Amino acid sequence: MKRRRHLDALDDDIRDHLEREIQDHIDRGLSPADARAAALGKFGSIALVKEDTRAVWIPIWIDQLWQDVRYALRMLRRSPGFSAVVVLTLAIGIGLNTAVFSVVDAVLLRPPAFAHPERVLWLTTLDPRIKDEFITSHDFQAWREATSLERLVAYDEFDGRLTAAGTSAPARVATVSDDFWEMAAARPALGRLPVPGQSETLLSHAFFERWFGGNPEVVGKPAVVAGHETTIAGVLPAGFRADLVPPPSAATRGIGAIDVYRGIVVRPLPNGMIQLFRAVGQLKPGISVETARAELETLRARWARANPGVPFRPTLQVVPLMDKLAGGARAALMILLAAVALVLLVGCANIASLLLARASARQKEIAIRTALGAGRGRMVRQFLVESLILALAGGSVGLVIARGSLQMMVRLIPQAVPRLTEAALDGRVLAFALGVSALTALTFGVGPALSFWNANPNDALKGGSRTVSPAAGRLRARAALVMAELALTLVLLCGAGLLVKSLWRITARPAGFDPAHTLTVTVQYDTGGRQGGEEPRRAYINEVLGRIRPTAGVEAVGMSTNAGGRMRLFIEGRPASPTQDRPTALHSSVSADYAKAIGMRIVAGRWVTDAESEPVFVLNESLARGAFPGEDPIGKRIQTGGPPGATAAAGATFGTVVGVVADLKYTKLDASPEPEIFADYRHASPFTINFIVRTTGNPLALAPPIRALVAGVDKVQTISDTRTVEAALTDSIAPRRFTVFLLGVFAATALLLALIGIYGVIAYSVAQRTQEIGVRMALGAERRAVVLMVVRQGMSIAIAGLVLGVAAALALTRVMTGLLYEVTPTDPSTFAAVIGVLAATALAACCGPAFKAARVDPLVALRCE
Amino acid sequence: MSTRSGDPRVELLQGTLDVLILRILRFGPAHGHEIIKAIERSSDDVLRVEQGSLYPALHRLIKRGWIDFDHGTSENNRRAKYYRLTRKGRRQLDVETTKWETLARAITRVLRPA
Repeated sequence: MKRRRHLDALDDDIRDHLEREIQDHIDRGLSPADARAAALGKFGSIALVKEDTRAVWIPIWIDQLWQDVRYALRMLRRSPGFSAVVVLTLAIGIGLNTAVFSVVDAVLLRPPAFAHPERVLWLTTLDPRIKDEFITSHDFQAWREATSLERLVAYDEFDGRLTAAGTSAPARVATVSDDFWEMAAARPALGRLPVPGQSETLLSHAFFERWFGGNPEVVGKPAVVAGHETTIAGVLPAGFRADLVPPPSAATRGIGAIDVYRGIVVRPLPNGMIQLFRAVGQLKPGISVETARAELETLRARWARANPGVPFRPTLQVVPLMDKLAGGARAALMILLAAVALVLLVGCANIASLLLARASARQKEIAIRTALGAGRGRMVRQFLVESLILALAGGSVGLVIARGSLQMMVRLIPQAVPRLTEAALDGRVLAFALGVSALTALTFGVGPALSFWNANPNDALKGGSRTVSPAAGRLRARAALVMAELALTLVLLCGAGLLVKSLWRITARPAGFDPAHTLTVTVQYDTGGRQGGEEPRRAYINEVLGRIRPTAGVEAVGMSTNAGGRMRLFIEGRPASPTQDRPTALHSSVSADYAKAIGMRIVAGRWVTDAESEPVFVLNESLARGAFPGEDPIGKRIQTGGPPGATAAAGATFGTVVGVVADLKYTKLDASPEPEIFADYRHASPFTINFIVRTTGNPLALAPPIRALVAGVDKVQTISDTRTVEAALTDSIAPRRFTVFLLGVFAATALLLALIGIYGVIAYSVAQRTQEIGVRMALGAERRAVVLMVVRQGMSIAIAGLVLGVAAALALTRVMTGLLYEVTPTDPSTFAAVIGVLAATALAACCGPAFKAARVDPLVALRCE
Repeated sequence: MSTRSGDPRVELLQGTLDVLILRILRFGPAHGHEIIKAIERSSDDVLRVEQGSLYPALHRLIKRGWIDFDHGTSENNRRAKYYRLTRKGRRQLDVETTKWETLARAITRVLRPA
């Protein structure tokens, strides 16, 4: 711009002007020197003219800000050690905050992948005694009339197999009803959408590439998906995803990673049979969640009146899908976010303390600048600019740390938090980091900056460098900061300690249960179109058990069906009671060696054998206590019903209870044991099959041969999982381990910062008091007394901090109740341990400076001024 | 205004330099030094201008679009910046002149009631 360049030429213009003026004076007879003096006199202050002229174009504050920035950079370069410590502290604090925020953003803030995510609802019915969430085909039929819903989708998700065009591949299958395609805005990249009412299927892009090499020929071909005939209608685009809540059995796979979507039609089933689904609905624009819930409730009530005697789940739940997806992660993430903010706060306290110390050292510089006419406001601003630069530098390095720690979190425990893998450093996260940096600068910068407000240049300039009043106020302020730091650290350590203790409680395991040496091989049994009911399945199980048993290194092998379903129990001889009031239990069919393989302890009676002539049952202690209070259950006769809610399945016979086993948490660690009932698999239908192999050596070395053995029996069956029970258990508490790990890291960081903080203050105070200590020693104080004096000073700060922290922790750990397991939020032993650790840390931090003080040579100390 | 009795010259009123520059440029383009000299001369050396203050004023007027400048060569073959009045500046000069005359008349009437 021409006018801006005009400003650049200002120096030339002024020189030109002065030359002409000087020439005028010379022409009038002055000597060159006098002419020059006269011209300069008439011109006025050149610097001021330049500044005024610049101010025409550039607002004065920008100009001054730029000066401040350059000055600040110079100051920070001059003390590289200080700058490095501050930037690193901030980088850790801001980096951890940014990483946690990006997780929170992905899990709690980002809407799920749907066309109108804000209007998508999670619809389910609940039974307080049966935790499974589902709806029945009846519900679906009834809810279709709801006018508050624009779309309603019934779906299910499971592991299955797709066979088409000569390829058979394991696939994650979702069956979805018609409305799904519109709701998820599915636009096939190849082919077309499934026609409603027809059995047609879409493949995910990744699945299509992987198994069909991206060959478009497969579109339009017939296929078999999990035993159902279907046609491949098309392929979804690469970016397509649908955030459907997976059933609990598949939750560890994460959300949205589906290979095959098969269109289904929900029809009423004959003879009172029901089908179970999960459901999502889309609200009409402008309709509230509450309105939809009320309408569905009305429809349910009407349906129940029209169909008396059909079991009915008591509770309806209607929540935004987003809340459902976040699920249990919300509480943990909020606590992590709070904890990581505390770490940053501890870091800020440390930096503020450092800046205060530096403020004392810079007293003279400030005094000189004030004496030369710098205003207080300008000085404060100068310090804030320095803080801001430090914070931004910390923030930039922090982004690198955030990236690293995010990658680590995702790699370590990807399934810990739903949608964790989506967390990324995007624009929102960057904005967050920037905001936090600026806020941080204010937090640690304002105090030290204001400490100059009342600085009197006279005092500072008069004194020598050492005897400048030791800024007792600043030392007190630093002590207060360290106190706060210790208090915050104590809160964090208590939180981490309580979680660690919970984890320890959870993972404590009974004798005999050795999950590390137990393999599970899960098979999704597919009839493959064979007829003959249960017999082929039992034959298959027998064959697999028979082949694994003689393998070297196998101690025992057993089988159980997935203990995912609960059933109602009918006890012979009990007076008839309403279906809802009958006891329920997790039901699994097991083989003879199962108890030995998994490590279950038999408390009474016996386990099932492979040659039961009639149905027999084994109960766990929870069920025995609940269903037979004060009675001996052995010898009692029980009948198991269909899925919860159904009446006794037609044709089910009574079986005898032959034994009771101890409760064992072998699927989910942090849930209290549930009532369970085990039936021998020859007399009950096995569904999903888990082979349990107890090994003598390294189980993972045996995994490939066993997998091959199982695969060799029947190639049609999908082996979806081979891992140790320990790995499965560990996964079941992945969210917990994630929280414990992060909170532990945060607490350790805070502890380190607190250590540095208290050390810094005590060391500084000792340095300030060198002379005084010299005098004391010259007057006969013993070294021991000097050490004690310093330690007492440090520990009095520490103890005040600890008292404050305990009070805060007692008030705050209550928010963690939901995350604790068999530990109270104010667990005395945890608190005691944390106090001990912190006190020891503080003591260690004081000892260094204390011994240094004791080594002070009185002669040197007194002479040094 | 100066209160010193011995010196007949007065300092420029705040803000009047701008209008004086516009008036001088009405005669034709001029460079910075010429403008100052012209102000001093045409006020019979009564007005005392701190020469440096010309430059912020020139930049202010450029920014408002009342004057513009070209590079030219002065009488003794030196390169110089020649400032000139823009059409907008011409109109502004009329406005400012009227304003000034009104103000001067009013102040005179107050100080020397007839």
